[in-house]
Amino acid sequence: MLRSLPRLLGKICSVSKPGGTKNDSVGKPLSKSCPMPKKVKVKEAFIRQAFGNSSDLVVRELHVGPGGKFTVLMVYLDGLVDKAIISENMIERISDRADRCRTPGQAYDDLKNRIIAVSDVKETGNLYDFLNYVARGYCGLVMDDVPKALVADTRGWAQRNIEEPTTEATIRGAKEGFVETLRTNTALLRRRVKHPRLRIEEYDIGTISKTSVAVAYISGLADEKVVQEVRNRLGRINVDSIQESGQVEELIEDAPFSPFPTILRTERPDKVAGALFEGRIAILTDGTPFVLIVPVTLTMFLTTPEDYFERTFIGSALRAIRYLAFFTSLTLPSLYVAVTTFHQEMLPTPLVLNIASQREGVPFPAVVEALLMEVLFEILREAGVRLPKIVGPAVSIIGALVIGEAAMRAGLVSPIMVVVVATTGIASFATPVFSLAIGARLLRFIMLLLAGSLGFFGIVAGLFGLAIHLTSLRSFGVPFMEPIAPILVSEFKDLLARVPWWAMHTRPALVGHEDLVRQGRDQKPGAPDSPSRRLADKKQI
Amino acid sequence: MKVERGKISGSQLMALLVLTRLVPVTIEFPSVTGINPPQDAWVSSLGATLLSIPVILLMAHLSLKYSDKTIIEYSQLLLGNFFGKIVGFVLVWYWLSVAATMLRSVGDAYTTAIMPETPILAFIITMALLGANAARSGLEVVGRLGEVNMLVVILFVLLTLSLPYKVMSFENLLPVLARGIKPIMLPMGTAISFFVEFIILGMVVPCLNDTGALIRSSLGAVAISGAVMTAFTVVLIAVFGPTLSSLMLPAFSLARMISIGEFLERLEVIPMGAWTITVAITLAFFFWASAVGMAQLFGLRRFQSLVYPLAAISVAFSILFFESFLDLELYFNEVWVAYSLSVTLGITIILYVAALVRGRSSASGKVTRLCRRNR
Repeated sequence: MLRSLPRLLGKICSVSKPGGTKNDSVGKPLSKSCPMPKKVKVKEAFIRQAFGNSSDLVVRELHVGPGGKFTVLMVYLDGLVDKAIISENMIERISDRADRCRTPGQAYDDLKNRIIAVSDVKETGNLYDFLNYVARGYCGLVMDDVPKALVADTRGWAQRNIEEPTTEATIRGAKEGFVETLRTNTALLRRRVKHPRLRIEEYDIGTISKTSVAVAYISGLADEKVVQEVRNRLGRINVDSIQESGQVEELIEDAPFSPFPTILRTERPDKVAGALFEGRIAILTDGTPFVLIVPVTLTMFLTTPEDYFERTFIGSALRAIRYLAFFTSLTLPSLYVAVTTFHQEMLPTPLVLNIASQREGVPFPAVVEALLMEVLFEILREAGVRLPKIVGPAVSIIGALVIGEAAMRAGLVSPIMVVVVATTGIASFATPVFSLAIGARLLRFIMLLLAGSLGFFGIVAGLFGLAIHLTSLRSFGVPFMEPIAPILVSEFKDLLARVPWWAMHTRPALVGHEDLVRQGRDQKPGAPDSPSRRLADKKQI
Repeated sequence: MKVERGKISGSQLMALLVLTRLVPVTIEFPSVTGINPPQDAWVSSLGATLLSIPVILLMAHLSLKYSDKTIIEYSQLLLGNFFGKIVGFVLVWYWLSVAATMLRSVGDAYTTAIMPETPILAFIITMALLGANAARSGLEVVGRLGEVNMLVVILFVLLTLSLPYKVMSFENLLPVLARGIKPIMLPMGTAISFFVEFIILGMVVPCLNDTGALIRSSLGAVAISGAVMTAFTVVLIAVFGPTLSSLMLPAFSLARMISIGEFLERLEVIPMGAWTITVAITLAFFFWASAVGMAQLFGLRRFQSLVYPLAAISVAFSILFFESFLDLELYFNEVWVAYSLSVTLGITIILYVAALVRGRSSASGKVTRLCRRNR
């Protein structure tokens, strides 16, 4: 038996076998190629060799049965388990109560059914599974002469508290954000969707990292075909590790080379819940607070939960400002360059003279000046993100005062260019989703070059090229530019203006078509004697 | 074997057809009317719109008879392999030449009016790249782009037409038809020869998700573009009067008249933006049609790989065909009418007659069955 150890271990530990890993990546256990050996010493040898000399592996020997005849090995990884559960619900109870059984089999059954006081106890006859459970924070129990093993869910580790999301702040709305633990995140969703129709399917992705990835959707609202497509795309992932949902995103997205993301990521549970209610699907990854939402449209990237929580006029106005800001961040520098270089006649004469006098002494053409300032701004922004919080303000002072002011004084750039670049920079921060903002920033440089070479024609051509690209994009079968191209008049309710909630009768047609009607048409509020109230009351009676 | 699998809706088709009409209406047509005095130009616009309705109905009716086939496919069915393929090649050539003239006229317009120092090829190649890029994405994308951008372009057109209201004097329109109908005959022919570009319908019908919408949307397109063309001519006459015939690019001259609150002035960028969008979509439409046509002629499975070569050919045509802007005008005045009308009307009539003959003779049962099913 011991002689076959290396061969068996090879089977257990080889994780990059092309044939064997395929099933593995969708969470199905490996075939029964690694049956549990019988003798406890052999088992211990297996386990110890499988984990190598890892210092966090704890193997505790307990003796049960009359006179401590039978040996029970308790295996867990320190740090992944809740020590209180281990000592109180397992060790204490085992040593107190497990001395009446006569055979190992009886002892095993007693342990499983009566003694271990942990809510989730599983049984496995496969060593490979057993090791996987232990690696996940389960506590494993093996016994002499029993070819099976018990694993008890004792998982518990240090985790971040639920805090306000840092990248998506809102004024109104829930202040809690996702954390790094998958289970906590699914609970956050469950608390917002208290209905058994909320389905959460879990898969293990990554042949070594074994990251849990959960697909959440509301059955009956989400299109089953899209759910299946999500499953398929997740199923064909065959990589060694997943650390962040960004990697999942890159492995399942529709357009890998587009500057625009076709999958929305958020760390706000209210945003995800809202998407689920529209019939969309969420993909939660263990180890990151960022949750993916599919299918999405471009307009969703310019939407915040606040739009829906504030009063309708305020929400719509905020959204309009955000659209304007996005457009500004994309085109303002190039518009400035085009006007000052090619189309001075468009501006009123005093303004032209003003600009010309400011630009006097600036040695570069406008496009070079703009590129210079934009690159400088991007460097400042990147530095600001990376720097520790204590040094941050110092950099902003250097950036704003020294570089801005000094560059102007030195005659490198004109004051109006500083205004343009600063406005653009601020506008790009108004885009709620960072990945879209980055896309716009990169495209801004292309637009600048086009404007510098072809003027307004270049800008229009660039924007139209962008429109072609965006129109040809799809996100899990849904046109990315919907409802603008193709035009869907029924979806204009949530495009530029957000209609009041009582008028949002239907879900988005292309996503929530399984159950289109969101609510009745009698939701308009009013004073007790107003016509709408009377109508609604009559219906209720 | 379908080369194009995308589907478009009736309103998307209408948008595309309107956009294909807007370029000739706003760049080419007013400058080539050559009516002297120009005050009757609007009559010729109106007349051309009305006269082209039966022609377009004929084309639509013909396409509806074979609603699951493109004109390239059913011309081979009707005329036999050899003659059918010749018709197909002529059509592809026609679409490419239309694309080439369009590229040239927009390039000339830009170099003449906005950026005289930029080489014309910079504009032509950029436009062709945009059009080819859209065409490669398939008819679905082109249709969706068309649908949205038609609204934008129509808004631009309305702005350009209404903002110079201060300088309009509608007395310029009088007297109507002072010299009789004869001087407006040729301009009317030119206008109709632009409308017959609608023969591209023959390529779109199999991609329509509701073939019943074909007649409705093509007539709608005629109505909208006719209205725009007539309104455009009326405004031009009202603003410029008899000096109109000496203007090279009336749309630009019109936009120069705009002045909003002494802040926004000389808004040539409005027509320029509208043209860029319009021309790019129109080019995409024509490139798509010629690529699909070519693919069907040679029995290819995909048309995407043909789009860029065909676009390159039409860029070359646009440079080789014409020496200057005047040359282009001469072409529109003297060659275009006969060329366009004979190709499109000729093919339509030949195919229609063939369809009638084949439909009646019971010899070709296949065609008959097809006809019956679609009736």
